[in-house]
Amino acid sequence: MTAATKPRFIRADGPDKVTGSGRYTADLTLTGMLAAKFLYAGVAHARITKLDVSAARAVPGVMAVLTNDDVPDVRFGPFVQDRTLFARDVVRFEGEVIAAVAATTAAIAQQAVDAIIVEYEPLPLVTDLETALGADSPLVHTEWAAYGAADVLVRDRNDASFSSISKGDVDAGLAEADHVITSRYVADGSHAAPIEPRAVVAQWEGNKVTIWTSTQVPFDARAGVCETLGLPANRVRIIVPHLGGGFGGKCGFHYEAHVAALARAAKRPVRLVFSRREEFLAPDRRREGMVIDITTGVRNDGSITARKAWIAIDNGAYTADSGFFSQLAAMHVSGPYRIPNLHVAAHLVYTNHQPSGSVRAPTAPQSCWAIESHTDEVAAVLGMDPVDFRRRNAVDTGVEGPSGQTYGEIGVQQCIEEATKLVGYGRALPDDEAIGVAIGWWPSFSVPSGAYIKIDGDGSGQIITGAQECGTGSVMTLRQLAAEELGMDPEDFQLIYQDTSVAPYDMGATGSQTVFNNGRAVMAAAGQIAEQLKALAAEHLEASPADIVLADGHAHVAGTPSSTVSITELAGIAAGGELLIAHGSGTPPSAPALVGSSCVGDVGMASFVAPQFSCHAVRIRLDRDTGVVRVLEVGAAHDSGTIINETGALGQIQGGVMMGIGQALTEGTLYDDQSRQRNAALLEYKLQTCADSPTIHTHFVQINTPNAGPHGAKGLAEAPNVATAAAISNALAKLLGAPVRRLPMTAERVWETMSGTDHS
Amino acid sequence: MSISINLNVNGVDYPVTIDAGRNLVSVLRTEIGLTGTKEGCDDCECGACMVLIDGQPVNSCSYLAAQAADRPISTVEGVMTGDDLHPLQQALLDEGGVQCGFCTPGMIMSATALLSRNASPTEEEIRIGLSGNLCRCTGYVKILAAVQAAAAQAR
Amino acid sequence: MNFTIATTLDDALAAVAAGARPVAGGSDLVVGARQGKTPLPDFVVAIDRIDALGGIDATANGVRVGALVTHARLEVDPTIVGAYTGLADASALVGSPSTRNVGTIGGNVMNASPAMDTGAPLVVLGAEVELQSTTGSRRVAIGELWTAPGRTSAQAGELCVAVHLPPRTAKSGSAYVRLEYRRAMEIAVVGAAASVELDSSGTLVALAVSLTAVAPTIIAVSGTDALLGRAIDAALLAEIAELASRQAAPISDLRASDTYRRHCVGVMARRAVDAAARRARGESIAVPVNRSLGIGAAS
Repeated sequence: MTAATKPRFIRADGPDKVTGSGRYTADLTLTGMLAAKFLYAGVAHARITKLDVSAARAVPGVMAVLTNDDVPDVRFGPFVQDRTLFARDVVRFEGEVIAAVAATTAAIAQQAVDAIIVEYEPLPLVTDLETALGADSPLVHTEWAAYGAADVLVRDRNDASFSSISKGDVDAGLAEADHVITSRYVADGSHAAPIEPRAVVAQWEGNKVTIWTSTQVPFDARAGVCETLGLPANRVRIIVPHLGGGFGGKCGFHYEAHVAALARAAKRPVRLVFSRREEFLAPDRRREGMVIDITTGVRNDGSITARKAWIAIDNGAYTADSGFFSQLAAMHVSGPYRIPNLHVAAHLVYTNHQPSGSVRAPTAPQSCWAIESHTDEVAAVLGMDPVDFRRRNAVDTGVEGPSGQTYGEIGVQQCIEEATKLVGYGRALPDDEAIGVAIGWWPSFSVPSGAYIKIDGDGSGQIITGAQECGTGSVMTLRQLAAEELGMDPEDFQLIYQDTSVAPYDMGATGSQTVFNNGRAVMAAAGQIAEQLKALAAEHLEASPADIVLADGHAHVAGTPSSTVSITELAGIAAGGELLIAHGSGTPPSAPALVGSSCVGDVGMASFVAPQFSCHAVRIRLDRDTGVVRVLEVGAAHDSGTIINETGALGQIQGGVMMGIGQALTEGTLYDDQSRQRNAALLEYKLQTCADSPTIHTHFVQINTPNAGPHGAKGLAEAPNVATAAAISNALAKLLGAPVRRLPMTAERVWETMSGTDHS
Repeated sequence: MSISINLNVNGVDYPVTIDAGRNLVSVLRTEIGLTGTKEGCDDCECGACMVLIDGQPVNSCSYLAAQAADRPISTVEGVMTGDDLHPLQQALLDEGGVQCGFCTPGMIMSATALLSRNASPTEEEIRIGLSGNLCRCTGYVKILAAVQAAAAQAR
Repeated sequence: MNFTIATTLDDALAAVAAGARPVAGGSDLVVGARQGKTPLPDFVVAIDRIDALGGIDATANGVRVGALVTHARLEVDPTIVGAYTGLADASALVGSPSTRNVGTIGGNVMNASPAMDTGAPLVVLGAEVELQSTTGSRRVAIGELWTAPGRTSAQAGELCVAVHLPPRTAKSGSAYVRLEYRRAMEIAVVGAAASVELDSSGTLVALAVSLTAVAPTIIAVSGTDALLGRAIDAALLAEIAELASRQAAPISDLRASDTYRRHCVGVMARRAVDAAARRARGESIAVPVNRSLGIGAAS
């Protein structure tokens, strides 16, 4: 164990959070601050025939009312520029913003919103994914072809992003199989549901705006404000106070520009705080519904000859960051298996639903649920134990994966062994219990990232980083990495973070990338400081810089511990000369090559940098009379490379598993026949409670991966969310004799499957 | 209708004049300026707004401030003793039971109420005692461990 | 909104006579207003400081439960747990510890939700509600109180001051079970309560079953008298499930389809009768049945 893996970890923001003194965005109040409220469409597809805000403007206490006419005419979107800040002519989902009001109180703002007159001409609803891809389907965006879009996207009418991965000859492969198994799985959309509803506060001073916002990605939010309001980056400052969870739901650019525009128009600071209902309905970030058809050919010896799959993903009304979902889903439906012949095609389909976007491991839990449930079906046809089938067919070190990537040292086979061991797979169980097993994978994301470090004259340090903390503790972990490089204690450092005008770029709390990329940046910066300290110490101790060792808060000459000087003393010397200030970025690891495959709509997701693997084994109990399932015990084994912060890593596994249980059993968006959400409340959209949480055993398969993050670390936070629902499905299928083909596998759906089995 | 009442929060009297229809959480956060109590929903479904009234847990989002007049109200800001963290606060830090922190104040209030009426709760009793507080980050494992650790320390 | 705090019953009755809406914990009122379902009333009287409405008292004719008694108290009170166990089961399942701490039996009863958990046990236990006004008081059988979702037969000016539970015999038992998708923070998708009385040979001499969330109000299952005189066995339990499913008139909504509700309410009725009978025989099944017997009260 290195110094960076000290067992006890107290997060730097912990005292703020347990005492209630930590400020979240909704806790901020500025002098003269107004309250913002939005008018939402309320209908899912319609042309606006009349929009009259005059009555709203006349309400006493109203300081600004904005519609599309009041902001620059800009279409935006990271992959397809299909979106405007306010609805322009047509509304395409119920949570689309029509108008925004700023008033002296929230009640007055709401009164003004209610006074706005909007009239609509209904347009045909697009809700079914397969129908939407038909040539005669109504279009969600009639002007789709004229939109700006990333060059790599393959688009056609309601298909916002088509992607395929092909390898070998899939028809020949299926022809040589002894068994061909075909399955269909359908997953409902679901929500990130962080406990903090989002909030934004904006204040202008002169021609510069400061925006406090509950975003996971401050630099993305800044880019969105700059793009839509026509501002240079150096006049927009995004500050994120403590962030009350995100899970992807607070990735992307949301309402920062709306609130900034209101504040500019009102000439007053403005605060927007979402209700829980708004949090459910409006943001362009919910987990995508999917339809997944899979056909697999296998030989009697248990080997896979070919796999063919068709995937439709619910994009919702606008393309948020979902442009890469089709290729990522294609990878996940292929699965971490040895497949010589493959053809997977995926469509990202516009509908009149809330837009989809990156929620913790986008596309993966649903895809894993489908492919892993299918895998157990295949094993059953062969009469093989499903775990043995995985041992035989899962990828491994030096093996070529489905997309033609050959892996370096990876731990998927070890994950299978450890997870099954953790729950005693194979032991005798009561007849209402079963253990299901599933494997999953997830890439690490290699992107640019930066940090500064300074050591002040008293020897105390500050890490000034662009990284964003969403609760995982990843930013908190950066102190350990810097301390290790400098022979200091993590407690010697304070973190300055979540401020775009202070720190260099980082992608944010997204893609499990903070330690992977910003950790490298912090270590590079710390390395510069270390060089400075060594030079100072060498001069002070009359030795060569190359012989100076930094440890325990001191610099000493290697082999001569008595020849030593404290870092505090060196910092004092530096304060009178060349200051201890450094910056780091480092080179992001490059993507491995693919051999023998071809990809259409290639956004770079078919090659996994520092791929992570997992196996979850879950013991459940089924109430056979009602279909109610309880998860009793989970074994989760993960290869996420070297674990830098074990406390934080365990927290990610435990939280990811719990979220996966919710996705498996109780969390799914329900729509009415007008494409409006029916369960936009926490009573009806059921997160798992403390009373539901099972025993969770965890094992880390720690492989020091080259071409990865600090000390061989890979990403972590999303991977635990991948395989849980799939493992629950496989346990259930053992008890029912057939899988439940709808996600979530609600008690009623389980009962329906059970009833169908009984009748067959 | 505005009413003038006294709210006793963490042992301090706060005279406030408020609309009679205001819920307690908004008065705590706005008039009294204690923002440690959070709002995560509107309807008793998340527990982020949990406070204690007469030592018992109450969802302050769904409780009229007027009804709390002259009753002892406890919020997360009153849990420390002087500069010392409450053993439960310390245990949450030690065990890693805090992630985003948004559920933490409500969780602390529910847990202190539980421990004050049951010094040695079983794991099941803790699970039920905290079942009105949703946490999306932790999977509850380390929160349970922290409550157990705090209870053990108090014994 | 006009707001007043009553500290005596007379003050409360005067306010209610003047059109005030009485609130105890106030959760239903505030949540309803926040969700935009029902605006806050013009006049509210807080009755939660009236000591006279608070006790659980044995009387010559059973037990009087004051309207302000909370679910949290009902779930642990020795009298309720001992003799009216089904009411304790239901109280222990309401919402979460905080909603149980704030919610009262009086508020629950007068809110008249068909999904209220305490309703079905009150029906099988033969409860009466004591309604008082400035001009007098009367008792209403609980089954006659609820007329429609959210509606009661109480007259303007009447305040619920207590719920009366008739005495129980030695070999009797009661239970409440409900379908729940998670183990806490639930609302009844369907539920069922049963009260069972046995003779010394274990033969069924009295049976009442009622159902939650399968009709516009809590309903009592009819035809259970035909089962008296029999032993409680699998065949009898199956007949009860069949009766309950047949008499349910559930709707389809986002929580469940009518088909699934109809099926599950039979399961719940069977489990409630089984648990009540076991309690009548002296077996100790801890409150609430749902948690002591496992998921969905699996038996």
